[in-house]
Amino acid sequence: MKRIMVDAQNCKGCKNCSIACMQSHRKDNPGGFHSLDLADPANESRNLILLNGNDEYKPLFCRHCAQPECVKACMSGAMEKDSKTGYVRHNAAKCASCFMCVMSCPYGVIKPDRATNSYIVKCDFCQQDGDDPCCVKACRSGAIYVKEVQQ
Amino acid sequence: MKHVIIGAGAAGIAAAETIRRLRSNDEIVIISADDAVHSRCMLHNFISGERDEKGISHISDEFFVKNNIRWVSGKAVEGIDTANKLVRITGGAEPYDKLLIATGAESICLPHAQSLNAENIFGLRHLRDAKAIREYAKQAKNIIIIGAGLVGMDAAYALSQIGKKPVIIDRAEQILALNLDPYAANMYMQKFEKAGCSFVLGREINQVNENAGKVDSITLNFGQKLPCDMLVMAIGSSPSIGFLAGSDIACNGGITVDKYLATNINDIYAAGDVTGLSGIWPNAVKQGETAASNMCGQPATYDDTFAEKNTMNYFGIPSISLGKVMPGSGDTVQVRKDKDKYQKIILNGGQVVGVVLQGNIAHSGFWLQLVKNEIDISKANKSVFNLSFADFYGVKEDGEYMWVL
Repeated sequence: MKRIMVDAQNCKGCKNCSIACMQSHRKDNPGGFHSLDLADPANESRNLILLNGNDEYKPLFCRHCAQPECVKACMSGAMEKDSKTGYVRHNAAKCASCFMCVMSCPYGVIKPDRATNSYIVKCDFCQQDGDDPCCVKACRSGAIYVKEVQQ
Repeated sequence: MKHVIIGAGAAGIAAAETIRRLRSNDEIVIISADDAVHSRCMLHNFISGERDEKGISHISDEFFVKNNIRWVSGKAVEGIDTANKLVRITGGAEPYDKLLIATGAESICLPHAQSLNAENIFGLRHLRDAKAIREYAKQAKNIIIIGAGLVGMDAAYALSQIGKKPVIIDRAEQILALNLDPYAANMYMQKFEKAGCSFVLGREINQVNENAGKVDSITLNFGQKLPCDMLVMAIGSSPSIGFLAGSDIACNGGITVDKYLATNINDIYAAGDVTGLSGIWPNAVKQGETAASNMCGQPATYDDTFAEKNTMNYFGIPSISLGKVMPGSGDTVQVRKDKDKYQKIILNGGQVVGVVLQGNIAHSGFWLQLVKNEIDISKANKSVFNLSFADFYGVKEDGEYMWVL
């Protein structure tokens, strides 16, 4: 499967990846980056860059894990690992908003949607584009890149 | 090889999927008393009318066909003939090579009440319970729910959504006492009260009064009597092992299993609530997977046993609780809150021993790892509220993350 690889040492904390993710998933009529409303909860990012206690950047991206804890925790069938692509997909219509997956993600990647607290916001690999995910295309520092990995 | 699984809940379905993944040609049969696969955690959504029967299924429509599983539905298991390796069901028997018992648990009833078979006493664990509650509630006026735990509050939520005004009774001084502290519990209680529910807390039940085979009132300690024409029992559950009476499968409350989830009888395994190990969905799934792996000859042990964890979401307010909800001796507590967000962290030395989060639970998954793995946080060099996976960050060669301690 393809995975977004992370090289934290290259991360400059610019958050281009987060803005690109917001732009890719915005629900309003897509315009250019300039019209993206950063304050609209509907446009939230699926990735984020954390700081550790030494002020080092630590990019947090869904791993689409080989043994996805979020899928094992899902009691509605909304969270599934696609056996062909390897991606962990979330079906918002099926989601029962129990948030067991949020509790179970060992890295704290996933979250309820900020606007309604009713489904999960997570990486979908920008599958609608068929190209590399938008975060990767936006990264200027080589901190994230796509690689084929064995699972 | 023929695998028979009794039960189509979290553990049974996870086991079937695992067996199919490991053994493409083995025969798999699931026997279940239910005739519709459903998620127990969504029964309240069925009662409230938010979801229909299909909407509370946790598997796809094509699950059985796609995985080449034969599903014997709507059949109760009457017993297991371990000598001849047969599962006896109504009107027949199913031979097995490997057997998994994943029959779940049943609601329990107060000892001084009539059984759950009484016309107006209900448990809430199965779709048939939810159907019965939804139907009977139509004409009920004085609904009482005994037990303000997760099942009781699910019932209260559902009934409030269809215009009912249930009274919830619990001996604890707060609702959700096993899962939340008084502050977080009170936040929910106010929402339930606004929705028409009322509460009688810190009181014992002296008597369940019956008339012509039906409950008509509840007498509390100190003599107060509450009218009741429908009673929901939400005081707990016990493993579904009635059909094992007289069998040689060892039980001790639930079915006794070792770390491979094997019972004392060769080729028979048990997983999920029937083991009494944990009542949590993810743990039941992992037990199902573990048992299935062993049934396929690939040794696996059930290691992720931590069960002091839960989430809930009532009226759009999510909560997570991990470990302790109240501090014990030697613990210290740190709290941060505003009008709609609450974070309480209980610490002991350099370890997080309890977490209650309410309102905003975004990116909170790492807390479970800190609590269950008893991780030392003192080296993190920051406020406990700013902790994250960044403080233990590692990446493996294949790109998966790992905790660096």
